[in-house]
Amino acid sequence: MMRRRVDRLGRIALQAAYSCQADAPPCPMVFASRYGDMGRSVELLEQLAQATPLSPTSFSLSVHNAIGALYSIARGDLTAQSAVAAGAETVEAAFVEACGLLAEGAPEVLVVVYDEPRPAPFAHFPEQVALPHAWACSVRAAGEGPTYQLTCGASEGAPERTSVDPLPEELSVLRFLVSGEARFEHHTGSRLWRWHRDA
Amino acid sequence: MQALEQEIKKLVIETLNLEDLKPEDIDPAAPLFVEGLGLDSIDALELGLALQKAYGVALASDSKENRRHFASVRALADFVSAHRKS
Repeated sequence: MMRRRVDRLGRIALQAAYSCQADAPPCPMVFASRYGDMGRSVELLEQLAQATPLSPTSFSLSVHNAIGALYSIARGDLTAQSAVAAGAETVEAAFVEACGLLAEGAPEVLVVVYDEPRPAPFAHFPEQVALPHAWACSVRAAGEGPTYQLTCGASEGAPERTSVDPLPEELSVLRFLVSGEARFEHHTGSRLWRWHRDA
Repeated sequence: MQALEQEIKKLVIETLNLEDLKPEDIDPAAPLFVEGLGLDSIDALELGLALQKAYGVALASDSKENRRHFASVRALADFVSAHRKS
C-alpha cells in the first residue's frame, strides 16, 4: 500500500535501495538527492498560490527524508537514516556521511543516490539533471572488496577536466565506481574531490 | 444511492491512487480503514479534502462522527447525500 504514495523519483530510489539491500540485515542508510522530490513542492506551492487546500499526502511527503522514511516504514526498519543534499557535491557528501557512520562503528552503510530533472518552473536554471536516475551501494570499512579513497582539496591550480563527457555529470561517480578506473576528479566550484581506487 | 456509491468508489480510487483496484473490487459495506482497504490517517485527510472539493461537504477535524462517516463507502454515500451542496 506504500507504493501508490510515491512518484517516479521515489519509486526508482526505493527500487535501488531494495535491490541493493535485498534480505541483508538492517544497516544505517544515507539517502542523497540534490533536488529531491521537487515536483511535490511545486504542486504544493501552486495549491498555495491558488489558495486551494494542500494535499495532505503531498505535504507529508514533501520533506527531503520522506523517501527514506517510507523505506523505513515499509520494512519496519528503525535503523538510523540521513537525508543529504549538497548541490553538485551531493554524492561526495553522502560518502562522507557514510564514512562518519562507519567510523562510529556501523559495520555497513547503504548509500542511495537519486535525482530527476527539475520540474517546469525550475527547469531552466543551470545544472539541470539530465535524466531520472537512482543507484545504491553498500559501503564498508576497508577490508574485503575494492578499496577507495576520497579526498577533498582546493581546486585552485588543478587542471580542469577538458574532455567532453557524454555522460551526465551526476552519473560520473557511479561510472568511476563500476569502471575499475584508478582515479576520478570532480571539480565543484572552489573544491576538488579526488576519488582514488587502490590497486 | 447506488450511483453515488459508485461515484465515491471512483473518487476513492483516483484520490488515493489505488492503481490495482477497480470500483467493482470495493465492497460498499466493507471497512475502508485498517481492515478492508487498509487505508490510514493520511488517506482519511486526503479523502476528506476530495469529498469537500467534489460535494462541498465539510468534515469536522476532531468529530467522533467522522469515524462513522468514514466507516465504509456506503457510510460515506449516506453522509454525502445528507450534506452535499453540489
